[in-house]
Amino acid sequence: MNILLFGYGYMGKIRHAVLRRHPAVRRVTIVDPFIDPKMLDLDGAVLPPCAPVPWEEHDAAFICTPNNVTADLCAQSLRRLRRVFCEKPPGRNWEEFCQIDEAARSVPDHVLAFGFNHRLHPSIQAALALLGEGGLGEVLYVKGTYGKSGGSQYRESWRNNREVSGGGILLDQGIHMLDLFQLFLGPLTVVEAVLTDSFWKCGVEDNAFVLLKGGRGQPAFLHSSATLWKHTFRIEIGCENGYLKASGFLSKTGSYGREQLVIGKRQFEDEAFSLGNPREEIIHFDRDESWDKEVHEFLAAVQEGRPPHHGSLEEARQVMKLVHDIYAMTPVTQ
Amino acid sequence: MRSVETNSSFPLSAVKPLEELASYREFCLSQTLKALQQGRRKRQISPVTHQPLEPCGETAGLEYGRCSQTGSFFLMTLPPASAWTQLLEEVNRFRHSPEAFHFTHARSRSDRVYLPKLEWIQETLRFQRLVSPAVLEVAPSPSDLMPLLKESGLFSKGFTSSEQDASKSSLDQEPVEVALLLEALDRSDDPEALLEAVRKRMVTGGLLFVTALVVSGFDMAVLGMNNLYWVPPDRANGFSLKGLTQFLTRFGFNLLEVSTPGVLDLEIVQAHRQRDPSIPLSVFERQLLESDEQTRMGFQSFLQQQGLSSFARLVARKA
Repeated sequence: MNILLFGYGYMGKIRHAVLRRHPAVRRVTIVDPFIDPKMLDLDGAVLPPCAPVPWEEHDAAFICTPNNVTADLCAQSLRRLRRVFCEKPPGRNWEEFCQIDEAARSVPDHVLAFGFNHRLHPSIQAALALLGEGGLGEVLYVKGTYGKSGGSQYRESWRNNREVSGGGILLDQGIHMLDLFQLFLGPLTVVEAVLTDSFWKCGVEDNAFVLLKGGRGQPAFLHSSATLWKHTFRIEIGCENGYLKASGFLSKTGSYGREQLVIGKRQFEDEAFSLGNPREEIIHFDRDESWDKEVHEFLAAVQEGRPPHHGSLEEARQVMKLVHDIYAMTPVTQ
Repeated sequence: MRSVETNSSFPLSAVKPLEELASYREFCLSQTLKALQQGRRKRQISPVTHQPLEPCGETAGLEYGRCSQTGSFFLMTLPPASAWTQLLEEVNRFRHSPEAFHFTHARSRSDRVYLPKLEWIQETLRFQRLVSPAVLEVAPSPSDLMPLLKESGLFSKGFTSSEQDASKSSLDQEPVEVALLLEALDRSDDPEALLEAVRKRMVTGGLLFVTALVVSGFDMAVLGMNNLYWVPPDRANGFSLKGLTQFLTRFGFNLLEVSTPGVLDLEIVQAHRQRDPSIPLSVFERQLLESDEQTRMGFQSFLQQQGLSSFARLVARKA
């Protein structure tokens, strides 16, 4: 397969590395007007600026661009190549998501996946296996915190420029947590939200507190933050027969901590040494294959001509609807 | 790859009390020496690296050799294969007799040793989405675990095979998706033949579960050959964690889990010190043993997290 890779920033480089290792990928052509082909050792794989996009020579597209061009490129790629992998978020807002949706409808045999790789983190996959008949029973509630420290260049990043990104930390990181909530609880609705821009003053939220509920009334609570001075990823899943706490993940710098899953089994006085201190097991994971799995699954779907198992249009719709509802009901306060 | 730690705790006295070990240990040693009267096989190379073993100490006159690359220990002189088979059977029979702590603490061992193993296997099967596999357990008969495996309903079929029978691979054996070598590599007189035969019997993608007492773990590293739990034939082979992982990898297994979720390292050293205060310990080790419960628990937890407890458990997939 020959792949067009739009955008060679943080995500583009990650996808490029995975694509280069994949046995079915013959060629990856990078399209990014902001990189100098001569500065990078990419074997002439970068399309020269202003050169027309060689759609006809390629089989699928990866959209790894800033949010303001995502929807246009995704829709165009769908119409030209039918096979598209698109980073989250699927557009800056609901209207842009609808633009992608419309393009997808006009190409019935499309293969479209969105990059929600957190579903494939080993701690999340292990947690899924333990729910329901896996031993822990039904989910009673979910609580997640996902945040970063910002950093000295925070205000300059396109991610915090509303024109380019469409939103703040909720749309950047919080969307992953909302996606995970729906993975564990099914479709959710928004109950209440508070969005603040109290520190960075970029005109987009730097903190989002969101209360949601599932189809059977199960509560879910999200704190998405750009003022967590310690990088944090933590999700707690309370179940009938115990609880799970997934935290940390493998990033380049390791700043989110070692990825682990705490498995606690409900024990009352008759089983535990002391009430409220049940036996826990902690699984540590030292390999994150989520990027590989996500890309491999998409390429397998392309080869087999079937819908991908992860990051479907429907899942993207559900999560973008939540983001839309949160922004619609809540002004960002300073 | 993953590793697991646990906050579950139980006292040494509940599973293998040191003060009740003597009769079992004496039986093991006397029977091993008796078996050696039937002949002697010299083991000179490490089953892990095939490098020469360096003599490193003895237990009751039985010499062990060290694999210099991995730090693993191996009994250097073995009786003939048939005598070894007989020895393991006799020792297993003794374990089920009222003279052995295994018998007197059977209930407690079932709750604290076997049920957690069953839970581990069950959870791993869930994580790997393996449903109703056939299982081979390599253990001397009668197995204490097989009844629990059958009762669990997790497996479509269950086979128990002794180390020696399992080492003889045969084409007419039914293939299995899961194989259990729970301390079986510790007591095999030929761990390479055993692992190769088990590998052949497993389907590609099948899961291998291994537990072992590893000599890189805290109580073994501190006590060395003074560790009274270190006794042949159960401990003919003392892999280090590094040695064990290398060994499995060399036979074409991909590691999915490497954990040392032991809870007894400090207590084992403490029990030896109480029994024999002259056991050589460093100032730091003495300080640790005399520290409060919170510090000792914190240290045991550190051992688990860093792969430094002597109880190791691994899961590997046949490539």
